[in-house]
Amino acid sequence: MNNFIINLIPGETFLHKLSGTTKVRLFFVLIVYLIMSFDLRLIVPVLILGIIGLISLKPKLKSVRYIIIFVVVMNLVNILLYYLANPHLGMLYFGHETIWFQFTDHYIVTYEEVWFLLSRFLKMIASFLISLDFILAITPSEFAAGLYSCKVPYKICTIVEMAFRYIPDIARDYQNIKVSMQARGVELDPKKTGLIKRIKQNILILIPLVITSFDRIGNISNAMDLRGFGKGKKRSYYSEHGETPNDRKVKVVYILLGIFVVAYIIGRVFFNVSEVWYPF
Amino acid sequence: MKKPVIEFKDFSFRYKSQTKETLKNINLTIYEGEKVLLLGPSGCGKSTLAHCINGLIPFSYDGEIKGSCKIASLEIVQSSIFQLSSQVGTVLQDSDAQFVGLSVGEDIAYALENDNMPREEMIPRVYESAKMVDMHEFLNHVPYDLSGGQKQRVALAGIMHDDVKILLFDEPLAALDPMMGNDAIDLIDRIYREQKKTVVIIEHRLEDVLYRHVDRVILMQDGQIIADMTPDELLLSHLLKDNGIREPLYITALKNAGCQLQPGHISNVYDIDLEPYRQQLIEDFQQTLPSQPQQQQEVVIEVKDLSFGYNAHQNVLEHVSFDIHKGEKIAIIGKNGAGKSTIAKLLCGILRPTHGQILLKGQDYMQYSIKEIGEMIGYVMQNPNQMIVKDMIKDEVALGLMLHGYSKQEIDENVEEALKMCNLYSMRNWPVSALSYGQKKRVTIASILAMKPDVMILDEPTAGQDYRVYTEIMTFLDQLNKEYGITILFITHDMHLAIEYTDRAIVFSEGTCIGDDSVFKILSNEDIIQRAHLKETSLFTLAKRIGLPCDEFTEHFIEHERMNRHE
Repeated sequence: MNNFIINLIPGETFLHKLSGTTKVRLFFVLIVYLIMSFDLRLIVPVLILGIIGLISLKPKLKSVRYIIIFVVVMNLVNILLYYLANPHLGMLYFGHETIWFQFTDHYIVTYEEVWFLLSRFLKMIASFLISLDFILAITPSEFAAGLYSCKVPYKICTIVEMAFRYIPDIARDYQNIKVSMQARGVELDPKKTGLIKRIKQNILILIPLVITSFDRIGNISNAMDLRGFGKGKKRSYYSEHGETPNDRKVKVVYILLGIFVVAYIIGRVFFNVSEVWYPF
Repeated sequence: MKKPVIEFKDFSFRYKSQTKETLKNINLTIYEGEKVLLLGPSGCGKSTLAHCINGLIPFSYDGEIKGSCKIASLEIVQSSIFQLSSQVGTVLQDSDAQFVGLSVGEDIAYALENDNMPREEMIPRVYESAKMVDMHEFLNHVPYDLSGGQKQRVALAGIMHDDVKILLFDEPLAALDPMMGNDAIDLIDRIYREQKKTVVIIEHRLEDVLYRHVDRVILMQDGQIIADMTPDELLLSHLLKDNGIREPLYITALKNAGCQLQPGHISNVYDIDLEPYRQQLIEDFQQTLPSQPQQQQEVVIEVKDLSFGYNAHQNVLEHVSFDIHKGEKIAIIGKNGAGKSTIAKLLCGILRPTHGQILLKGQDYMQYSIKEIGEMIGYVMQNPNQMIVKDMIKDEVALGLMLHGYSKQEIDENVEEALKMCNLYSMRNWPVSALSYGQKKRVTIASILAMKPDVMILDEPTAGQDYRVYTEIMTFLDQLNKEYGITILFITHDMHLAIEYTDRAIVFSEGTCIGDDSVFKILSNEDIIQRAHLKETSLFTLAKRIGLPCDEFTEHFIEHERMNRHE
């Protein structure tokens, strides 16, 4: 039934067993850290950590393989387009160019350009790996609890949680409606109908899906009201366990990292610290 | 002196969007520790009354309130839904929607979370509540792995924490198969006794609720309370028949035999004293009724040694074989996951067998596309809202024909005929949204009939419907079958439906066909009843207690009922 890579029940590894609060905070700090620069000295360690993290989570290879391949390929295409759009980015970022070889007058390949595109690519992959680790390590309830610990109002946290709860139900409704429409003659076989027609046919399925989903939302909101949702300003979370020794260790890491991020950004804004690094 | 916990005094309610009052002048008192059944057909106002008890009115539904309603001494107009929800625990009809947590534990904890209770206190209390409903070993399970009955148990555990005084069950049987339904009624009874709560059950299935003792039955009709009496008194009266509620089958059987019912323990088929009626029942049974001999017609569908699996390792269906003859009415029975809907999808060609054959009128159906099969076999879903895509009735009925590329003239002819068959012709230009549930169901059936299929498959055609709509839908289908010779397959776990409206039952359990025989024979086979999650009907119990053969007794009863219906 549940084919997503999202877990609903926490797993058994080190990362899984951290509390939601720790996971969410660590994730935010790392993402800001990765966004703030193109400096490979900063990116590569996180990339390596991301790979170690992924292996430690012992994901089912089958479920993550496609998404990894997809993201890597998309990013390769992305940097190729980047290059095609402007082959002189190296000049822009580093202020100098050393030609490696040349296709045409316009399309030259410089060492600086390659270095910049490599940094960019690794930055994207590192961000992806950190996000994938995060998704694999956290349950939606822990995510809600973690967001709540970052002072996000719990009504917003709950929307996130609810979405995960009901996606499979809606997917099942969709399947059912699809079956009945197919039996009535809606052709969804890609070999027999064109894309435009197929999109139109899918819209036919969406109408009853939206209507049944609205019915469901009414019932859900009643169920929530009846059990006191929205009663107080504060709320606690069943799925959020207290701080373990491991949580405390990771907390030290993300606090130090957070201080570094703030310092680096201040450096960038006020003291002209470069966002890129070119060793040669 | 008994203490009242629910007190309605000259209470009326009108929804903001409606012109007429939904509840009219309600006077009702329910005392502490009572177990009360709130009975009535759909649209009688019983759900609205429940909303007043649990505080959804006026919190979520706006409207005009007159008179007074006090729940545990709180006047509903002056209290918040949160005050009320700490007094009244509600188990909703849709146990799937009520399951808001992502695991059993979380769902049970939901109310405590909203109370901002620290986790350390929460955990033992969740365990305790789960234990009360025997779900303590499932705390880490996700909702998708649970059966309807288990979800309902979780819902019940989730409202037991605070010192709720009143437990309110809104149609607890609607989504359950017969065996789970019995378990649910048992569980409610046990919690009622152990926890000493006041229990209010809202249902229209009288017989199933009376499986366990109920102190009082309150019958509603058109927004008013028309009876407030013990179950025995109610069964002795004519109120049930007059108000579209199904009498327990054994009571009808006794009445059919001409027995004058005597007061005393008649609300339970196991307790009722049968001595005064025995002679009359036996005499009536020995009278033969004119039965209609059925002639076997040609075979329309032949399923031969069919197996199907979504992957190579596991088969969902294994070695299933059966024939379907023209004009038959067949019930396909089995608990959830037994393979009922898979067989329907296979027959429609949406799935194809991994092994074995399906022959349509003697031709291997692998040569046909889904679309072509759709002209021979029509499939009607359980929930009409999941099928209807057009605004106008006429357009909805024409949709299938248009998709199949019929000419304008053919479409018009077929649509007109289908609408006439379904008594919808006069409404052909109405918007679908103006229709009632039963009418929408008819529209979906008409939209399938327009394709002129030989066979129709209906998935739970009467689920969640009260006796009146149920009878309306089933009588209509019966007519289609008789007058137009359409073969109908019902996927159902409603045993009343199977008994009264079908000739034959094919029973599935764990992917195999475990029975294919007349409904009466199937339902007198205890092994099949167990494995397919059915339960013994009260007719069987009655026949057993009298010492008559169960299947023949039931058959006799059905003939009698059919005669009554035609009169």
